[in-house]
Amino acid sequence: MTLTTKPTKPAGPAGPVEPGPVEPGPVEPGAVRRAPRDVLLLLSAGAAALLVLLALGAPLVAPYDPAAGSLEDRLLDPGAPGHLLGTDGQGRDVLSRLLWAGRASLVGGLVPVLVAVTAGTLLGIAAGLGGRVTEQVLLRTLDVLYAFPGVLLAIAVATLLRPGLGATVLALSVVLTPAVARVAFTELRRIRTAEYLEAARVSGAGGLDLAVRQVVPVVAPVVLVYAASLVGLSVVYAAGLSFLGLGVAPPTAEWGAMLDELRPSLFTHPWVAVQPALVILLVSVVFNTLGERLRRRIGDSGAHLPEAGR
Amino acid sequence: MTGFLLRRLLLAVPTLLGVTVVVFATVALVPGDPLTALLGPGAPPEARHELSERLGLDEPLPLRYLGWLGGVAGGDLGVSISAQRPVAELLGSALGQTLLLAGAAFLLVLAGGVLLGALGALRPNGPLGRLCDALGTLAVSAPQYSVALLLIAVFAVNLRWLPAGGTHDVFGGGGAGDLLRHLVLPAVAAALVPLGLTAKVFRAALSTVLAGELADSLRARGLSRFAVLRHCVHNASPALLTIGGLQLAYLLEGVVFVETLFAWPGVGRLLYDALTARDLPLVQGGVLVVAVAFVGINLLVDAAHAAIDPRVRS
Repeated sequence: MTLTTKPTKPAGPAGPVEPGPVEPGPVEPGAVRRAPRDVLLLLSAGAAALLVLLALGAPLVAPYDPAAGSLEDRLLDPGAPGHLLGTDGQGRDVLSRLLWAGRASLVGGLVPVLVAVTAGTLLGIAAGLGGRVTEQVLLRTLDVLYAFPGVLLAIAVATLLRPGLGATVLALSVVLTPAVARVAFTELRRIRTAEYLEAARVSGAGGLDLAVRQVVPVVAPVVLVYAASLVGLSVVYAAGLSFLGLGVAPPTAEWGAMLDELRPSLFTHPWVAVQPALVILLVSVVFNTLGERLRRRIGDSGAHLPEAGR
Repeated sequence: MTGFLLRRLLLAVPTLLGVTVVVFATVALVPGDPLTALLGPGAPPEARHELSERLGLDEPLPLRYLGWLGGVAGGDLGVSISAQRPVAELLGSALGQTLLLAGAAFLLVLAGGVLLGALGALRPNGPLGRLCDALGTLAVSAPQYSVALLLIAVFAVNLRWLPAGGTHDVFGGGGAGDLLRHLVLPAVAAALVPLGLTAKVFRAALSTVLAGELADSLRARGLSRFAVLRHCVHNASPALLTIGGLQLAYLLEGVVFVETLFAWPGVGRLLYDALTARDLPLVQGGVLVVAVAFVGINLLVDAAHAAIDPRVRS
């Protein structure tokens, strides 16, 4: 689980590794609406929305206070009366904690992607429009960050910070930004010599004007679709950091932290202990399916995108 | 070919230097007193003084970095706070175990990735192909720690088929068969994500070749389905090499979770222990070793790619 396929350099005439068409056209406006209905896309989008709603609505939906334990009800197996998913080692209701944990965990999954989209797009456009020196400096710096396996880069950044949600968000933003910047840059390079850009330049458009009016509309759809496929990865990383003790700290409920808390019970109450693991797996499947279906939606122009975060 | 390799090697130098800068920064920039961070809170004043001298803490950061880099180049990664032994020694003995686990997982990645990818490409619209695609997506989405916990719960705790951790049985253990039994679950847990990615990439590459002119001309010459497939697989293999090599590199980082959960005494486990104990020299050394291995494997993959496919050398 990491930033895997580096966004491969765009296949030149000799580039054999790039699967799919070599010269994908730009996204046609309206292409999304014309495509036939995609059941998996609808299902995964619905599931993702439901997950976010459940996390937001945790105070209303959760049957118990996630922090309140009871000594008599410690380590009940799933299905125990009054505790659908059982209780943890401190007698806290696992279902309630899983629901509340969704808040910190989804923030850890979504916010770094938003940061990476903003920062990565800016960096990618700066590298594409800023001239040779800027381009080389930015690309080489991103290469260094890319040379790190994602989890290790996140660990390196997070050890510098006090454990907490902030550390998770910052560390994952650093990990994801280079990937987004690469995608934005590759996308921009495809249109860099396009006639309409030349036309805009000739009619006196400055760098900023060019970036905002001509480049962002072309780059944004592809970047956003790529970003959607990063959310699942980001959720998995965020929970992993908490599991390692670098992210959200107890007693705040968070899926990765719960994994760590319940680990001692794995051999006595395995079905309680695996529940956070199952939830993270489910959330990862939902967001990855959503990301993948969105990529298919944009069709050819998505074919050159690197596999989600790998 | 030599020119390509030299160029590629030269490009790796700034990357490696950048990696050392980031790793150095994790200790140099850590908030609070670096001596306490490196030696632990209870260190005697002489030790603090000696380390301060050795690290040249009064000197400006760039000089300290160069001094540290010189030490690293000579194999000196500092001394672990929690184990009170040289970091290089600890990492050296753990690295073999990690390579064993990563190697076993890599075999699963290749076998499973090729199988799922090929079936998906051959039957893109049939139920078997769809099943393979779905399995690939599921594998990509399966975090190592989730898979590890589920495997332990099912196969070790519930069914008692396989051991839940360690490298050999404490009583009456030892031998290759025992090791293999202990290797199965962690290798599967580590392999799933890279396996899914390999399947996806190989499927895409093979589909492209199967739909291309090469396959058409082979079919037109009357070759059997199997012979056509054999040629096409051959043609899609550079993609497999590239993605497979990347996955080998990524296995090295996934093992942080897998080794921790399966009590496998490798670099990942060491790193987890170091993080829990806030043993910064060990964290630094572990991150550095894995990151350098990562860059090295990528380099080897590029070289191998150039060796089998002359088109990338230009």
